Amino acid sequence: MRGQRPTVDRLDKPSAYYNNRNKRRRRDDRDDRDRDDDTNMKDGEQQPEDPLKDATTLYVGNLSFYTTEEQVYELFSKCGEIKRLVMGLDRFNKTPCGFCFVEYYTNQDALDCMKYIGGTKLDERIIRTDLDPGFEEGRQYGRGKSGGQVRDEYREDYDEGRGGLGRAIQVERLRDAERRDRADDHEFGRLR
Amino acid sequence: MADYDRRQGGDRGDRGDRGDREGGGYSNPRKRRYRDDDENDRRGGGRGHGYSHSGPPQRRRFNDAPPPPHVRIRKQLLAIAENPMRPWHEEVSSIANLFTDTWDSDELLRVNFVDLVLQLAIEQPLKTPFLAAVVLVANTNKPEVVDMLLTKVAGLLQTSIGQGEWREVKLYLKLLACLQSCLEGDGVFPILEDLFSRAVDLQTASSEDTIGTELVKIILLTLPYIMSAAPVEQWQQRAAELMDKTEIIASEPPALQALIEPYHDESSEEKAANPTMSLIGLLQSQLQAEAQNGWALSCLPRPWVFPDSDAEQQSKLNDAPKHALPSITIPQAVIAGPRPLFPEVYFSVYSGQDVESVPSTASAASSLVRDALLDSINILDFNRNVTARYLIEVDCYFAPRTFAARATPFDRLRDIEPPKSTWKPEDVAVDAVFSQVFQLPSPEHKLVYYHSVLTEACKLAPAAIAPSLGRAIRFLYRNVHRLDLELVNRFMDWFSHHLSNFGFTWKWTEWVDDVSLPDLHPRKAFIMGAIDKEIRLSFAQRIKNTLPEPYQVLISPEKEKEMPDFKFAKDGVPFSTEGKEIATLLKRKAPDEQIQPVIERIHALAIDHNLDPLVTSTDVFVTAVLHVGSKSLSHVLAAIERNKDRLTEAGAASDVARAQIISAVMAYWDANPGVAICIIEKLLNYRILVPSAVINWALVNHAGAARGDALAKAHIYELVFNTVVKVTGRVRQVVHKTMLKPQPDAVTVDAETRDLEVKVMRDLFKAMEDALVSWATGSKDEMMEMSDKDDGSNSEREQMVRRWGERWLRVFRRRAAIEEAFLLDSKKKKRASEASFFAATTTSNGNTANGSGGESNNGVEGGGDGGDIMVVTGQEEDA
Repeated sequence: MRGQRPTVDRLDKPSAYYNNRNKRRRRDDRDDRDRDDDTNMKDGEQQPEDPLKDATTLYVGNLSFYTTEEQVYELFSKCGEIKRLVMGLDRFNKTPCGFCFVEYYTNQDALDCMKYIGGTKLDERIIRTDLDPGFEEGRQYGRGKSGGQVRDEYREDYDEGRGGLGRAIQVERLRDAERRDRADDHEFGRLR
Repeated sequence: MADYDRRQGGDRGDRGDRGDREGGGYSNPRKRRYRDDDENDRRGGGRGHGYSHSGPPQRRRFNDAPPPPHVRIRKQLLAIAENPMRPWHEEVSSIANLFTDTWDSDELLRVNFVDLVLQLAIEQPLKTPFLAAVVLVANTNKPEVVDMLLTKVAGLLQTSIGQGEWREVKLYLKLLACLQSCLEGDGVFPILEDLFSRAVDLQTASSEDTIGTELVKIILLTLPYIMSAAPVEQWQQRAAELMDKTEIIASEPPALQALIEPYHDESSEEKAANPTMSLIGLLQSQLQAEAQNGWALSCLPRPWVFPDSDAEQQSKLNDAPKHALPSITIPQAVIAGPRPLFPEVYFSVYSGQDVESVPSTASAASSLVRDALLDSINILDFNRNVTARYLIEVDCYFAPRTFAARATPFDRLRDIEPPKSTWKPEDVAVDAVFSQVFQLPSPEHKLVYYHSVLTEACKLAPAAIAPSLGRAIRFLYRNVHRLDLELVNRFMDWFSHHLSNFGFTWKWTEWVDDVSLPDLHPRKAFIMGAIDKEIRLSFAQRIKNTLPEPYQVLISPEKEKEMPDFKFAKDGVPFSTEGKEIATLLKRKAPDEQIQPVIERIHALAIDHNLDPLVTSTDVFVTAVLHVGSKSLSHVLAAIERNKDRLTEAGAASDVARAQIISAVMAYWDANPGVAICIIEKLLNYRILVPSAVINWALVNHAGAARGDALAKAHIYELVFNTVVKVTGRVRQVVHKTMLKPQPDAVTVDAETRDLEVKVMRDLFKAMEDALVSWATGSKDEMMEMSDKDDGSNSEREQMVRRWGERWLRVFRRRAAIEEAFLLDSKKKKRASEASFFAATTTSNGNTANGSGGESNNGVEGGGDGGDIMVVTGQEEDA
């Protein structure tokens, strides 16, 4: 009875993002196994221990760059005491870049946070939470080319809380503008 | 009924929203990897398994052939009764016929059908009557299905009874009650009667019993469904007999009720004017009224009743075969199950209105609708979006005309002509959620779950829900002086959290007159607490902008500063040289040897000035640490971590030094008490502070210095409450652990720890009791002084302080009583499990073991085990 799929989806499942990344990984593993021994495959498929089984950490995304640790504490403590909070930083400036990791003491608190806080607002933005196998040093930095999160490189919408337009687009526009300026200078010079 | 498109919100809305915010606008769709953060999945509003959902069109991959019957049956069962435009009898027959027509094609289909019906009965109990109707119609063609179902349900019911899963017991009985018309003999009655005799045993054995009360509640909640399904003379008689018996138990106020009443009235007259009714007491009298009225039960749906146009189906139903219900035995010893049982009282934020927008407590509908909604709310905590949708669509699951049209404004209810209902579905739904937010001692899930349900409901149907919330807020605000203090703080918490999800908009102008009340006034205290909580979720300038002018003074300029002033930065302040010096050393991360001389200098200077040297140096040092860590919580935590030894030493030095640590933290972060509370919590984790020090500081030192003003401050309450929760959570954790380990030597070690923790907790409650009693009775020294120089204003002030003392006292006496009840209960459980362990041959009851689903970690909030941060223990230096 309990093994049945629920009649309503659960909100405390890892996101498609996490699953897709993992599927990719698992597929790679399987390829390796395929080469060695075909019969192992079935065992191997159900074997890998779910790294999120006892997860106590959450990745929190879509924060404003201006949201403070204190605000995160205030909201996320509603699901249980926070053991550790790691703010996501721009790799170069070391300023907040719109994400963080929240670690609780228990798996239940983390699951509750997925169910009750993920998708609600903090600092007037809808934030997203995802179960995470655990923080590791280095993961607090943005992986985008310019130091922030990748999603803030090519974002075409103007998001005031996340530094306006995507960084790469800003750079591009700046370059365009410079080129135009230089062209103008040139014109101007010629006229003179 | 459907005044607006019910499918509008949820999924599509949600996705659209995400699209705008996150997913939208990629210049480079090729590079999927750039989407990492934005790749939001679709779990948000989704329900069922994609196909159960008729909102956005589903893409079919291969062809347009209809899906196989088992898929269609599942889909239709999952969505049963959701479409208000579809007549129930049509929907019910169509599913039943689809099922019986394909009966022979697939055995799996038959098993699946039965399993799904039972699963839905437990997961989505609002739909139970409709599922029963499908089974009843199927019974006319394939009676075997009922036998299959009954066998299974009997087994599950038996297991649930054995495990003390009383909600499941209730829900299986609800399904069986709806099937009463196709049951042989007396149907469900024998089970109810057995349950009753067990309830009598329990109640006779102990006046403190709560399980017996629960059993009576289940009996009373099952009866109406029997009567709606099989309204025949024979059963009316039987019900009357049963209710004669339940009367004695139901009319007695249950044990502990006084403890969990939501109101703490100032005077006995006020209390007498607003009596709180126990849920079963109400039910008993409501059902008696129904019995007088021939069990009209006009709110319950009867999807098994076919219209005259379909007389053929109706007669088939009437002549359908009957089935024997396998016997169920109620064990001699019944247990309370995973959740501690407390009596329940009826709470409504819409009582006392001039028009009834929710059923009055005289009507059985108030209990029946509430019960069905609460089950759905508490069972579906894993998908608040779906919960919110069911709440908004509550009118789909009860008899037509039970409610007024959706989104009817409250003012228009007055225009509704009498026989028609004035019950606003939104009010009824929201009221049910509030009854959980304001449930004592605690609701099934974390409070934030109920917040999130209200948020989602408000997002799904803002025009319908928001005004209902507004009226609820006004009701609560009007009653803030008589609500239990714990509930006032829950209100504050919800209110600020809710506003933070909706742009912090509230009609503050309504309360403008209260701004000039003294800070000790409950309404003023609420306003100040709520604004502080709003600021903590946002920032001062933002909240200031949302408040009318008269409120502006409540937000001090200090709140808008990025970090507090360092008091030693000013020259001329005593010890400013030393303060600055230590701060510089700390910033440089200088070794302790360099700090020590400065501390010694402070000691010498303090002695010269006739000050307590330890207190003075603690103040300077702690303030300097806070200053160095003022940039953010992680800065201050790192600073504390680096100076842990010296801080621990200070905390161990003397009572006054320990208190000074807390004073320094609270003073430094005076304008941002949220930060202060957080730091104190971490100091407790590091064992730099012990819980009793925090309690003593708050209730004796600080409250004393402020002549009781501190008792009206929400953040002081929060500080104390959190500390108590930490200690009680720790005790619960230790007790659970001692109960888990079977090895004899391990038990003794743990038993020692447990007894120590229990002692710490009891001492803490004792200290609180002493401090609070003196505030409540006015025997506190500071209050005596006050009343000595008595003029009019002082006695009024004293009155208010005493009242705050009483309210605090009630909260923490309850907490203490509940923890004692828990200890008693776990002792009993332990004895029982040991007994059953020795009795050995336990029946293996197969596959219905309680999975993770039923687990609720109520009470044990925070204070996790082990880890790198220590949790409090009772090691105090001084006796």
